[in-house]
Amino acid sequence: MDAWLEFAKGPLFRFSFAIMLLGLTRVLILSIINGFEAKGKAREKKLPMNYVLKLTFGFVFPIRSFRVKPLYSVISIIFHIGLLLTPIFLFDHALLFENSIGISWIGLTFSKYFADWLTIITIIFGVILLLLRFSNRASRSISRKQDFIWPLLLIVPFLTGYICGNSEINPDTYKAFLLIHILSGELIFLLLPFTKIAHCILMPISQWITARSWKFAPYSPEEVSIALGKEGEKI
Amino acid sequence: MFKEKNIWNKLEGKTTPEMKYIVEKPPKGDRVKRFLEIFAVILKHSNYRPILEQYVKISAKCSRCSVACHIYQVTQDPKDIPCYRSELLLRIYRRYFSLEGSIYGRLFGGWEFNEEDIDVMAESFWKCTACRKCVLECPMGIDHGLITHLARYIMAEMDLVPRALLISTREQLEGKTRNTSAIPWIGMADSIEFLEEEIKEMHDVDVKFPIDVEGAEYMFITPVSDWLMEAESLMGIACAMHAGGVSWTMSSKVNDAINYGLFYSDAILKRNILVIAEEFKRLKCKKILMGECGHATRSAWFMPTYWEDGNPPEIVHCIELTHKLVKEGKIKFDTNIVSEIVTYHDPCNIARQSRIIEQPREILKSFCKNYVEMTPNRSENYCCGGGGGTVSIDEIRKYRTSVGGRRKAQQIIDTGAHYVVAPCANCKKQFRELMEDNKVDGELVGLHDLILKAIVFDK
Repeated sequence: MDAWLEFAKGPLFRFSFAIMLLGLTRVLILSIINGFEAKGKAREKKLPMNYVLKLTFGFVFPIRSFRVKPLYSVISIIFHIGLLLTPIFLFDHALLFENSIGISWIGLTFSKYFADWLTIITIIFGVILLLLRFSNRASRSISRKQDFIWPLLLIVPFLTGYICGNSEINPDTYKAFLLIHILSGELIFLLLPFTKIAHCILMPISQWITARSWKFAPYSPEEVSIALGKEGEKI
Repeated sequence: MFKEKNIWNKLEGKTTPEMKYIVEKPPKGDRVKRFLEIFAVILKHSNYRPILEQYVKISAKCSRCSVACHIYQVTQDPKDIPCYRSELLLRIYRRYFSLEGSIYGRLFGGWEFNEEDIDVMAESFWKCTACRKCVLECPMGIDHGLITHLARYIMAEMDLVPRALLISTREQLEGKTRNTSAIPWIGMADSIEFLEEEIKEMHDVDVKFPIDVEGAEYMFITPVSDWLMEAESLMGIACAMHAGGVSWTMSSKVNDAINYGLFYSDAILKRNILVIAEEFKRLKCKKILMGECGHATRSAWFMPTYWEDGNPPEIVHCIELTHKLVKEGKIKFDTNIVSEIVTYHDPCNIARQSRIIEQPREILKSFCKNYVEMTPNRSENYCCGGGGGTVSIDEIRKYRTSVGGRRKAQQIIDTGAHYVVAPCANCKKQFRELMEDNKVDGELVGLHDLILKAIVFDK
């Protein structure tokens, strides 16, 4: 067990964290390059920036979210806040980072009381989101397998983390939960750049990419016709 | 009058009317291979790859778009959820053109694109009216309207396109009359003489419709339907131009602003724009003035993309110009003429990005005593149900009016308005049909129809 824990805490953590960082950087850079390539191909470069910024900031700072499905939106937003902030601003995690790479934000961490409540809320809201996905016909019918699995996977490290931090359990059970906590977190890191969760980094540039794609390449209609052997063809 | 009628749940328990359009030459042979070939070619030469690459990664399937869609609200069919529809194309991209998807597909198999999927897309992407209301609700920034645009373009390249649009475009670009309704110029010229006489009778003033005047400031183009079907809009515009002392001209050669390319093919979009560009240069005008039409105006906004010398003229919508003239005090109204309740429908193509929303309201409020808003309105407004070219497909009228237009019909009923102002040729046709089929009281008019009624000339 100890050897497993050491492996999960050490090499596996470094590997999965690196994959996440590099993977997310890769998809972000590729998307930005794609956007600029579209700009290069287009003749009209000017974008409706008011509209692009309105929608981008309207969802990054989710003021627009409450317009439809307000209950779902509130739950989803709090779930996202919990997902993002709890792992980063948890004292224990910050301490681990300080001990390993020397970067410290311990002064900014949450109190244990607040972190515990945020963890519980994240778990409960994660379950509610999953139930809403099941119960709403529209959501259910467009969901793929990963859409159901992701909320479950995301709450595993929260649940195990809470148990480890709050229960009086024997050391072996503690280590088992800790191992699950670390491994599930690492699985999330590994999958993150390759699944829909990549939206955590891609979402803010989505409106910009869309606006760029609406600026068509001026000669593409002719190039498409020539490539398809339809040049000069009557309608 | 308010909320006197509720048609909202009328379709419950009943079968949705069929949405089946006629295709002139249905594609034969290996359609899957052809589709993928065309998709690959379009991806190579166009600017669509960035959004597909982005959307396949971030689509979270949250279903918020379903709440915005006027089609899904009526049918409650999961197949009408915008995100479901977009996925029809995104999954093809993911499986065959994305790095991750194609590697996964080759290693583990999984979903394969087949003939049946093409039929599903051919129906689904023409149910969408490309109104882009759902875009406002997508936290991931997925533009389902752009996906519909692309999917239709791919299908059109394999001849899977509604015949109604195809034959109209053929006549407009290659026919004798050069307009989508195949009306010979001689008939239109006659109509103009008649309209001038009508205005003389109404207002006792000699308002002219200038034709082929070289060097005019504005070259005016409007959908062909305005010349005959919506003549009062045309008369209203002529009166506004006359009152404002605007130098403008219409063209005898390019007399139809309709551009179905916006709905099914970038190639057609460009060809139509180049026709306008050529005529604009011949007439040596300075600006382009668009008539009351949403999609024609939005198509014209693509001119900077396709204008050959990279220096396109300013595109002005007639509502913008009339608004300016009203503000300058050049157009005056008798505020006692229009006393009925008036409401305004925002055409999606000019309002969705908030480009033209306040100007028409300010004009209407300046002479209509009883102006009321639809809810929701402005950039949030619902589509009339005939957007994206579907209004021109007569064989799907029942679908359009009972499914696509039902939300709009209820909106009109809820306002209790007598005059429904819809400054768009597509919307006008759809409104007439949906008000008739859903037995909604009221009168459909263009914005300049009311201006024609209320304008006062200095004599």
